[in-house]
Amino acid sequence: MSTTEDQVTGMPADDDETSGAASGAATQTTARGLPLAAYVPMGITSNYKRPKATVDPDSSKTWLRRAFPIVAAHKRSFFTAIILSFVGLVLQVQIPDLLNHAIDNSLVRHTVPLHFYVDWVIALGLIGGVAGYLSRTSLYKMAYAIEFDLRNGIYEHLTRMSFPFYDRVQSGQLISRANSDIRSVQMYLTFAPLILVQCSIALVAFGYMLSINVELAFIAMVTMPFIFWSGMRMRKVLFPVSWLIQSRLAEVATVVDENVNGVRVVKSFAAEEQQLRQLATAADRVQWGYIKDADLRARFSPVIQNLSQVGLALVLLFGGYMVIHGTLGFGAILAFNAYLLMMQAPFMMLGMLIMMGQRASASAERIYEILDEQPTVVDRPEAVDLTDSRGDVRFENVRFAYGTESRVALSVEDGGNPDVLSDFNLHLRSGETVALVGRTGSGKSTVARVLARFYDVTGGAVYVDDHDVRDLTLTSLRANIGVVLDEPFLFSVSIRDNIAYGRPDAKKEEVEAAAQAAGADGFIRHLPAGYDTVVGERGYTLSGGQRQRIAIARALVKNAPIILLDEATAALDSESERHVQEAIAELCRGRTTLVIAHRLATITHADCILVVESGLVVESGRHEELLRKGGRYASFYRLQLREQRGPEREDDSESVVRFPSSVVRP
Amino acid sequence: MFGGGGGAGWGGLGGGPPGAAQPGMPFGGIPSELQAGVDLLLTQEPERGESDVTFSHQPSADEKRRLSLSGLLKVYPGMLALALLLVAIIAVATQLGPWLTETAINHGMQPGHGNFGLVVILAAVYLAAVAVSGAAQWGQVRVTGRLASWVMNDLRITIFRHLQRLSLDFFTEEKAGVVMSRMTSDIENLQQLLQDGLAQFAVQGLTMLVITWFLFTTNTRLAVITIVVVIPPLTLMSIWFKRASERGYVRVRDGIALVLADLSESLSGVRVVTAHNRQRYNVVKHRNIVGEYRDANYFTGRLNGVYGPGSQLLGVVGQVVILAVGGNMYLHHQLSLGALFAFFLYVNRFFQPIQLLVQQYNTYQQGQASVIKLRILLDNEPSVLEAPDAVDLPPIRGRIRFEHVSFGYDPAIPVLEDIDLTIEPGETMAFVGATGAGKSTMAKLVTRFYDPTEGRVLIDGYDLRAVTMKSLRSQLGVVPQEPFLFAGSIRDNISFARPDAPDDAVWDAVHKVGLTDLIARLPYGLDTVVHERGQSLSSGERQLVALARAFMAQPRVLVLDEATSNLDLQSETMIEAALDVLLQQRTAVLIAHRLSTAMRADRIVVVGDGRLLELGTHDELVALGGHYAEMYATWISQSHAA
Repeated sequence: MSTTEDQVTGMPADDDETSGAASGAATQTTARGLPLAAYVPMGITSNYKRPKATVDPDSSKTWLRRAFPIVAAHKRSFFTAIILSFVGLVLQVQIPDLLNHAIDNSLVRHTVPLHFYVDWVIALGLIGGVAGYLSRTSLYKMAYAIEFDLRNGIYEHLTRMSFPFYDRVQSGQLISRANSDIRSVQMYLTFAPLILVQCSIALVAFGYMLSINVELAFIAMVTMPFIFWSGMRMRKVLFPVSWLIQSRLAEVATVVDENVNGVRVVKSFAAEEQQLRQLATAADRVQWGYIKDADLRARFSPVIQNLSQVGLALVLLFGGYMVIHGTLGFGAILAFNAYLLMMQAPFMMLGMLIMMGQRASASAERIYEILDEQPTVVDRPEAVDLTDSRGDVRFENVRFAYGTESRVALSVEDGGNPDVLSDFNLHLRSGETVALVGRTGSGKSTVARVLARFYDVTGGAVYVDDHDVRDLTLTSLRANIGVVLDEPFLFSVSIRDNIAYGRPDAKKEEVEAAAQAAGADGFIRHLPAGYDTVVGERGYTLSGGQRQRIAIARALVKNAPIILLDEATAALDSESERHVQEAIAELCRGRTTLVIAHRLATITHADCILVVESGLVVESGRHEELLRKGGRYASFYRLQLREQRGPEREDDSESVVRFPSSVVRP
Repeated sequence: MFGGGGGAGWGGLGGGPPGAAQPGMPFGGIPSELQAGVDLLLTQEPERGESDVTFSHQPSADEKRRLSLSGLLKVYPGMLALALLLVAIIAVATQLGPWLTETAINHGMQPGHGNFGLVVILAAVYLAAVAVSGAAQWGQVRVTGRLASWVMNDLRITIFRHLQRLSLDFFTEEKAGVVMSRMTSDIENLQQLLQDGLAQFAVQGLTMLVITWFLFTTNTRLAVITIVVVIPPLTLMSIWFKRASERGYVRVRDGIALVLADLSESLSGVRVVTAHNRQRYNVVKHRNIVGEYRDANYFTGRLNGVYGPGSQLLGVVGQVVILAVGGNMYLHHQLSLGALFAFFLYVNRFFQPIQLLVQQYNTYQQGQASVIKLRILLDNEPSVLEAPDAVDLPPIRGRIRFEHVSFGYDPAIPVLEDIDLTIEPGETMAFVGATGAGKSTMAKLVTRFYDPTEGRVLIDGYDLRAVTMKSLRSQLGVVPQEPFLFAGSIRDNISFARPDAPDDAVWDAVHKVGLTDLIARLPYGLDTVVHERGQSLSSGERQLVALARAFMAQPRVLVLDEATSNLDLQSETMIEAALDVLLQQRTAVLIAHRLSTAMRADRIVVVGDGRLLELGTHDELVALGGHYAEMYATWISQSHAA
């Protein structure tokens, strides 16, 4: 089952843009001696085969037709399961008929020796058991293989999506789709055929009953339609109740969660009784849901469980009459009993099947909605690799507006999308450090995002080493850019793996050297498991400053010629900020660096500072030049300095230009 | 606050109309195709007012009783008795069929000279028995459903009330998850057990007894042989299956948890993933994780593949035994034909009870385990207790006194030693010092989150341990370091301390702290719902809301823990202005992390190593040339360097 990464990179057509980089991996290296192979999967072995099929992209087809390729990929398991379960059930249907004959022929009339039937029943039972085992295992195998395909298909699709998509969707919704919707589609695709087989068995059993006695067969079957109908009704009324209960349990959980996490506020304001009331109200709503659920189940489940018994009583009555008049053997009573019990389940499941189908179709639509989204930032067919980058970056007449792509139902909100950048120009020469300052929403972060092609410009172009970034492969471009963001995101893996995130094959020494340079080595060694300590959402909690230093070490290991710092110290307190500043200075040495900041103390050493306002550069120059100039930068700087000094308020606010934090985000 | 059932939970300001539900939990919302059904259901829900539960720090005698399943059920003796009666009726009525068939065959169905009248009567009895058992099942589901939901409701309130009594030291980060699972999954376990489990346990147990009794009265020898052949292997197989599938279930559950965690992390870290070109690596990693989950599912699939057909096969074996042994007995006239029929019919009915009993036993075990866990939770005693003879603290003038106060979270490691300090009414006192010096601890003693290990903390001469918690805390205003917002509207958050406050009062608070502009910008104004602890607001805005909340409480004493993280300039200015309003004419304890804040105070205390090092105004302390002067000098030089 194991494949190497070579096979993995041999992804099919839709991934071809990147395989150029992979094939050249062995020979090409960048100026810094970084093998291009660093950005193809390394250090991981695929233990499972890539799914063979995915959903049919033709969105005009029905949901079932679109899912067909996935089922077809598992046709062997599928047909094994269907055929064997049919065989098993047919054998099972024989047994009551054999017992019927055994009683009439061996016990009542003594025409056939008893052991003849005993042997047959044993044989049929054994073969039926083996067929049942094989059909079930292949059925489950197919069910979980389909789930595997769907999950991986969706995940691969998500990794191809661009940022505009992630801006619009909520990850909670995506996860919920990945969880319950995949389940309901998988359940339907696998169990629907099986239930149909079981129902066909009901037909066979009915055939046997007809062959024994036509009138009695119809009498016995008289309650079956009601079982079917009740089963369907029951699911229909119980589904909403159980979802209602789930949503109300979530409310209770919310109250508890907030109470526990906000315990200081609750206690400070002596709000215990108020909280208890809130919980009691939420609990009361759950209670109503459960009682409603019980009442609805009470209406249906006794009917479903007892209707087949009514059939048995009728068989006893009419069958008894026929036996007395000699038109029916005793054994028939027994056979009818067995057949009726056998048919109860398929009739109930038929009702279930219809409900499952409705749920599955709604779930499938939600999954297809994701799969039908196309990435907007992709490699051009003739895209080339960026190698030996000098780190020369040029923005020429760049224009940009967020959210110009098509929107689907996942959209969070709508609204006009004014230009965030309009006619933006900037040239960073190799090794230069340039800082962008301005208030939130001025467009300064957008500059960084279009450079790394997280978004594509709406007008103008960004050049790296005189290549339009859109003519470069995404992987090679991003391999040449190291990014440190305002909220350092760490994954729930060891610190070592986090630092080596961009180069999973990095050596132990390289990781530790990077951590040392980032000023992180000291505290890492004091952690319970040192570099092997698992951090992130499900691991050890580090302080903001520690996380940021690891993020910087991560960028150092990547060793890219261009560095983007997007408000890298904004979320830190002053002490951590000082430590991180030192690490940043180490990171920027000898690299082209674009710094985005609102705390001016962090950028005074930059080669050039640009003040951005409404997407335009309104001032530029070195720190001292700008101070001398006495413009916006100077007043902004004075304001921050005074703020740090203390509260004495000499008020010359007429000349003060503030950079307020605007709540309106792009 | 909890109106409406269908919020999709998009998050973000303006994401939903006021009052939409906000499932912040893993629950992802009701699927749209079921929404109509849910809405229909909700039309049947009667209007019920807010609950009228009351809270007191002193547990009642009932609440002190040890938690047990039987104790919980005994509260409703009538319902319990009714449930037991219905269970007995079900067990007998559903098993009458085969016996009636036997009687009909033996006494009514001789070909040619049968007694059809008897057959008619027996069939009528059969139908009647079916009707009785149906009616009893109807009643039982309703009765046990009610019993279970009542008991669960009682339990939720009891546990939560106990949680409200527990002191702050209980709620460490690690315990938050534990508390959550007690209040959710453990109580849910019991719900399952009580609603269905116990009744099923009783019904199936009785059913087996009834069947065994029928078989033995019909024919002892055949009964012994059948039971020996069928019951032990079926029981063993069921136990094996239960154990193995439990193992499998744990694997599956862990597997899906890993799959979803990996997915969730890939989504929230998407910027880092993209920036580091990790997509392909992650695809392979995710495939490995999904693959392991699939293998866990294969395992349970194979178990089901063995158990289902296996127990069917045992059923066939049972029938073969009856046919071979019973058939021979009939041929030798040791057994009537009707009795043989009864054996055939009953042997199939043995299977369901055994399988269900094995399953229910598991539910029972889980339920018991949950009871024990809940009992342990209830055994936690609050470390800060309200004295039984506590008096109400009269309106505070605001003189706070620490008298020889020593304190340690762990008594062996003192955090504060012999502190003596008086804060005068209306004074603002700033605490400064290094992290861990004990300044936050002093504030926690004022709010009585902890009690001193030695000495006393007094407000207006009242020892805090001698007054009721409510009278103390309702006169204190606390602004924590990280402002915590509750799910709900901005209005609910601001009026947290006074939920019944009139609109004017809320607006007054909004204006005073300078939130007016923000509220005007929000789509639903004050009724805008904040999601995910207010993540849609900036951290400065969250702090302003927290200040408005403190202002609403009109506290006599204010305790404020300054936020450590950097705010942008305008937010800082706004918060300072709000603080000025808030500090007016109040005694205030200010835990300052920045000297610029400390300087606003009337006096400053420097705390270090659990002691008070220096005390005085800013100018006095600078002149003193001690710790404070040194801190001030470093700070000034840093701002210049910048």
